[in-house]
Amino acid sequence: MSALLEARGVSKAFAGVRAVDDASLTVESGSITALIGPNGAGKSTLFNCISGFVRPDHGHIELAGRRIDRRPPHRIVRAGLGRTLQTARALTRMTVLDNVRLAAPAHPGERLWGVVARRAASRRRELEVTEQAHELLRLVRLDGHANALSGTLSGGQRKLLDLARILMAAPRLILLDEPVAGVAPALREELLAHVLGLRADRGLSFLIVEHDLGFVMQASDRVVVMNEGRVLVEGTPDEVRNDERVIDAYLGTAG
Amino acid sequence: MSVLASGEFWAFVGVMAGIYTLFTLGLQVQFGLAGLLNFGQVGFMAIGAYTMAILVAKEGWSMWVATPLAIAAAALAGVLVGLPTLRLRGDYFAIVTIAFSEIVRWVATNENGLTGGAQGTINLAGQGTAAQYNGQWERFQRWVGAQLHVGDKDVVMLLLVWAAALILVWLTARLARTPWGRVLRAIREDEDATASLGKPVFAYRLQALALGAAMAGLAGCVYAWQFSFFSPDDFQPLITFFGWMILILGGVGRVWGVPVGAVVFGFLFAATRFFDFAPFSYLDSADRAYVRLMLIGLAIILLVVFRPQGLLGRRDEMVLE
Amino acid sequence: MFVQLLVNGLVTGSVYAIAAVGVSLVYGILRLVNFAYGDMMTFGAFAGYFADATLGLPMIASAAFAMAAGAALSIALDVVLWRPLRLRRAGFMALFLASIGVALVLRQAILLVWGPQPRAYDVDPFKVYVVGDVRLSLAQVATIVSATLAIVAIGLFLARTSTGRVMRALSDDRTLAQVSGIDVNRVVVVTWIISGATAGLAGVLAALVQSTFDPNFGFQLLLPVFAAVVLGGIGSAYGALAGGLVLGIATELSTWEGFGGGVDPVYKPVVAFVVLIVALLLRPQGLFGHARAV
Repeated sequence: MSALLEARGVSKAFAGVRAVDDASLTVESGSITALIGPNGAGKSTLFNCISGFVRPDHGHIELAGRRIDRRPPHRIVRAGLGRTLQTARALTRMTVLDNVRLAAPAHPGERLWGVVARRAASRRRELEVTEQAHELLRLVRLDGHANALSGTLSGGQRKLLDLARILMAAPRLILLDEPVAGVAPALREELLAHVLGLRADRGLSFLIVEHDLGFVMQASDRVVVMNEGRVLVEGTPDEVRNDERVIDAYLGTAG
Repeated sequence: MSVLASGEFWAFVGVMAGIYTLFTLGLQVQFGLAGLLNFGQVGFMAIGAYTMAILVAKEGWSMWVATPLAIAAAALAGVLVGLPTLRLRGDYFAIVTIAFSEIVRWVATNENGLTGGAQGTINLAGQGTAAQYNGQWERFQRWVGAQLHVGDKDVVMLLLVWAAALILVWLTARLARTPWGRVLRAIREDEDATASLGKPVFAYRLQALALGAAMAGLAGCVYAWQFSFFSPDDFQPLITFFGWMILILGGVGRVWGVPVGAVVFGFLFAATRFFDFAPFSYLDSADRAYVRLMLIGLAIILLVVFRPQGLLGRRDEMVLE
Repeated sequence: MFVQLLVNGLVTGSVYAIAAVGVSLVYGILRLVNFAYGDMMTFGAFAGYFADATLGLPMIASAAFAMAAGAALSIALDVVLWRPLRLRRAGFMALFLASIGVALVLRQAILLVWGPQPRAYDVDPFKVYVVGDVRLSLAQVATIVSATLAIVAIGLFLARTSTGRVMRALSDDRTLAQVSGIDVNRVVVVTWIISGATAGLAGVLAALVQSTFDPNFGFQLLLPVFAAVVLGGIGSAYGALAGGLVLGIATELSTWEGFGGGVDPVYKPVVAFVVLIVALLLRPQGLFGHARAV
């Protein structure tokens, strides 16, 4: 299995504080990798560096062999990387269906030129996109809410909407930022099932930041542990669970 | 009230309302669809008007060639203004756009050789000759009048302006419903979320700005034809503020609200001319003009405080955050 | 010549700086881009004119009168308009548009009362002080002196008094400051007093330097003042001072022949904006500002 995502030597400092310090990690194609660590370990910052919302000071990040560090977020998305945002930012004043349709790539109707000069192709794509959107909404069981404003959805439903949106863009790697934080147990199981199912059915890879260690143990193939900006340990869930350095980091006796 | 003025006067009011419809349609695309705080729209109008007048009166080009070029010039100006400024925060962008429109006016006032200077387009053919760019337009107007069997050229102008305005309003409404419009609305609400969906936010904003600027450019050309002569002072920031007021009156985000707002605003403002009752009757005409503008200022304040959703909108749809 | 331009720039810059502080404080604390500020400066100039020409007061007293008038008007506007809007949780757009309405009303009112003809203060326009190669008019000297005093006073107020420190904290981070139980109303009143007074003073000084002024002159000033505020970083009072001085000096110096012939003086306002745009391209939040807000 080749590495789908490779991050090497990533560093980022904010006002003199090293949030991420020479961190490296890989995500294998078709795997589910978890990124864990105590608060302030630098997980979110590393996440943001990978998805392009923060510019790393140093480092090299590649997705399927293409460099994605220092690219604008929308180009990274087009390169095949999708991510959820911590506060699932649905576009509340637009309908659920529109939210999902927006995520579709390569839509001539979304370009001014396409609207004017490629009307037939735009119409066709819009029909395709609409159908695909409905299908994804059915998958996450939000189809009944398709025409409701997404602002009316509950927090859990918004996370599902987020997932549907990401899938619309047909990514190869999905970054999930604390997917089950503050989520009811039933939804937690559902999200877990989705992640595993998507990996099985569509060969998607995941990089998940999560505090819920139970979820991490159940879902992931590999676990990367960060502490104080650096990568501490990398291995299978069992290896990591029993690693002393990891236990020390969480108990705060390390560093 | 005294006897209302002639049909000619009201036809004129109607034409102005049509011009403001075109002008404000641009604002609707820029703010209503894309959330851009463009307070320099009159600058684009000036560029459209002057480009057309200069090409026709100075260079002797045909109006039919000069006008599309003038509109393109306004759009290009939109792109040039947007490139360095669209990444700025909203309030800075607003200030910079006002500055832009004032710079346009300043250049028009001082570059006598290019624009005829402070005295306006009458100077375009050099001192001593009264320049005229309107010849072709007047011929066209007469031709249309003959085809429609309408003798009054003011009525012809009214019909032409409103035909253009309504067609553009219809096209804009359709544009808003396209997937392109959908992306713009998303950007307006949350640009980071939209960027994370793979959309190039900056490019979309630039397109909205340029498209809105082109509409202002067209408004400028129509303004030029209506008055057959204009000067830099015709393009003060006050015009942009009138446009914003019309935008709010008609409802931000409601494309068909723009012509409604323009008509209401235009006729109400014109009607204040006829206030012959006290205390107006004690004022001379210059003072009355000041009071009328004061009323507009008060109206803006009241509108914003009490009815920000405009005439047609519902309170819960309020997009004027 | 260079030094003369530099000094001229200091004069212009001082006026910009004083005005910019008023705008910046109101933005930082009330989140309001006060478009009416230009016409408040005009109001200050005319109030000073009233004191000078009609009441026959000496210039210094007239300036003080203008500052008081400006402060009073600001507070009146707060009571009548801004406070009700704050209570309705009006957003940035609503406040900005309302301030445009106020600007319109104010300017037309001034036109109604005083008419459009240019006015001048009762000062000797020919009195000149010569220091080395530099010639300074009485107005310019007065401007530099009062501006320095005003800037020092404001600076001390912001740095040393408790209200001043509170204002800086609020300007910097509203939410944080709200949590610590500060008397917001008092701060608001003080903010408007300072803003109105600076508008009044800036108006009088600018009118003095220009020698003649008419009801439109405040708006002409407003744009370079906004540019100064943005350059310094909106919400930062010190930034506004710096921005004002920088813009004033840059604008005047740009006409120096040493810079490849110099800019045509007619285009000085354009220089201010070019400086602003270039600065924003390099540092989008301004010299002292914070990134990202509205």
